[in-house]
Amino acid sequence: MRKLLDRLERFGRLAENSALVILLGTMIGVSVFQIINRQLLDGAFSLTWADELVKIIVLWLAMVGSVAACRDNKHIRIDLISHVLSGPVVAWSKVVVDLFAAAVCAMIGWQAWRLVREERSWGDTVFSDVPLWLLHAIVPLAFVLISYQFLVRVLRLIIRIFGPDEAERAS
Amino acid sequence: MIFVSLILIVLAVFGAPLFTIIATSAMVGFQSNDTELMTIALELLSISQMPVLTAIPLFTFAGYLLSESNAPGRLVRLTSAMFGWMPGGLALVCLAACAFFTAFTGASGVTIIALGAILYPALKQDGYGDRFNLGLVTSSGSLGLLFAPSLPIILYGVVAKVSIDDLFRAGILPGLVMLFMLGGYSIWVNRENRKPLSSFSWREVRDALREAIWELPLPFVVLGGIYSGFFAVSEAAAITALYVFIAEVLIYREITLRDLPRIVRESMVLVGAILMILGVSLASTYYMIDAEVPQKLLAFVAELVSSPTSFLVLLLLFLLVLGAILDIFSAIVLVVPLILPIADGFGVDQVHLGIVFLAAMQLGYLTPPVGLNLFIASYRFNKPIMHVYSATFPFLIILMLSVILITFLPELSLLFVSGD
Repeated sequence: MRKLLDRLERFGRLAENSALVILLGTMIGVSVFQIINRQLLDGAFSLTWADELVKIIVLWLAMVGSVAACRDNKHIRIDLISHVLSGPVVAWSKVVVDLFAAAVCAMIGWQAWRLVREERSWGDTVFSDVPLWLLHAIVPLAFVLISYQFLVRVLRLIIRIFGPDEAERAS
Repeated sequence: MIFVSLILIVLAVFGAPLFTIIATSAMVGFQSNDTELMTIALELLSISQMPVLTAIPLFTFAGYLLSESNAPGRLVRLTSAMFGWMPGGLALVCLAACAFFTAFTGASGVTIIALGAILYPALKQDGYGDRFNLGLVTSSGSLGLLFAPSLPIILYGVVAKVSIDDLFRAGILPGLVMLFMLGGYSIWVNRENRKPLSSFSWREVRDALREAIWELPLPFVVLGGIYSGFFAVSEAAAITALYVFIAEVLIYREITLRDLPRIVRESMVLVGAILMILGVSLASTYYMIDAEVPQKLLAFVAELVSSPTSFLVLLLLFLLVLGAILDIFSAIVLVVPLILPIADGFGVDQVHLGIVFLAAMQLGYLTPPVGLNLFIASYRFNKPIMHVYSATFPFLIILMLSVILITFLPELSLLFVSGD
């Protein structure tokens, strides 16, 4: 079980990193080219697609970045309690809040999926022939992955609460 | 409804991710006034309809690259070569370098880690007291928030639909007021601590300049480009990202290509966290405007206060409490849409409101219980958190005075803003 989780973890991290590097690299490249085109080439190229592309990339960066933030436990939390209390209360409260987070994200993911399905029936396209719903499908996908991340965290927390900590580390 | 809010507050206090709390309150709101629940997804998608937002990932990436390279060391060397000869020299160096670095890296706490590690031991070596150093470095970590191209300013502009260029110009004087007041305090505290002043050396200035030669054009291109209106904010961000990449990775080679995926990830994790909060807050704002919450708030506030001045007093008190609980990014996206109509009702300028809001939230970095800088400094310098609280307290008071000045002298913010 643990091995499988760890393997999935490594794969997920690699996939996120690759996606983020490609997205950010493309964004920098396209944005700079737009400036060169406008300032130095007097708009020799028609780049309406570039505006569209950069805006879509922001959405994708936000979504993939959010999945990565969830894996690294970097989402913004207020979290007063763990500064004040410690011990089993904190451990169990983490289980509860992460279960809650998983449920909320699953709900958002479902709503986003409904929206994307509807968009599909509208048939909007960008870059002349790419269906818009396909590009927006990153939103439900990301929320499913985030929800899954929170569930994995809950699982790990429970293993830690019940598992004999020291013995496990030794083995 | 009150019951649900209570549960959400308890969950937030126990550490549920803030975006899930906001999303739930939005969805419960939609449910209660028969709005289609899909609206939350629709609002999330609007992240891709705000062209200015491209500036956020680009500036964040550039900031992380800079803080991972030796740029902080070069910046400190150059500032000390230029200002180190003055009384209280190194303290002033600390303030100036931190403000500059924070403006470029977007106030995410990296300043304390990148510059504090250099400045804290250097201050000690120069004979400044430990408490003073700790307080100075901790409070410098969020200085510079009001200078271009800081991320909170950009985010405020996006949320409030105010010209970001105007905000950048409006932040200059208030930011300088903060710098000068902290600088004056630093000199005054160390008036007994007379050391032989280090002499000014042209040779050192020249060497420091030569060392930083590839980074020098950056502030001129970016700040010059933005303030003159030659570049739009998102264009300046793209230039910065590319330029910093070329300088640090290809020319100085202080960051290897192998490090790059990690740095991209770390910076985009922050971007993901901020934009996620923005996305769900758009949804909750949609609900609140639908439910006429701002109008009800305005009516409520109008009963309490009657003049713009008393409104500002109330606002300031509210922001101080808010800043102690919420980080600056969440506070902007959640609260600004609610207070904008109220401020309008009292005739407070939206640009001035933005500067007041950001200046007050800057104090939030230093106020217990959740001041980000306090925790970063405690962790980074291995000091008990209570010790950091008390060392930072005098600086907090000075900053608070500066915020009061900034609030009640709107001319400070509006002098350079072209009225329209």
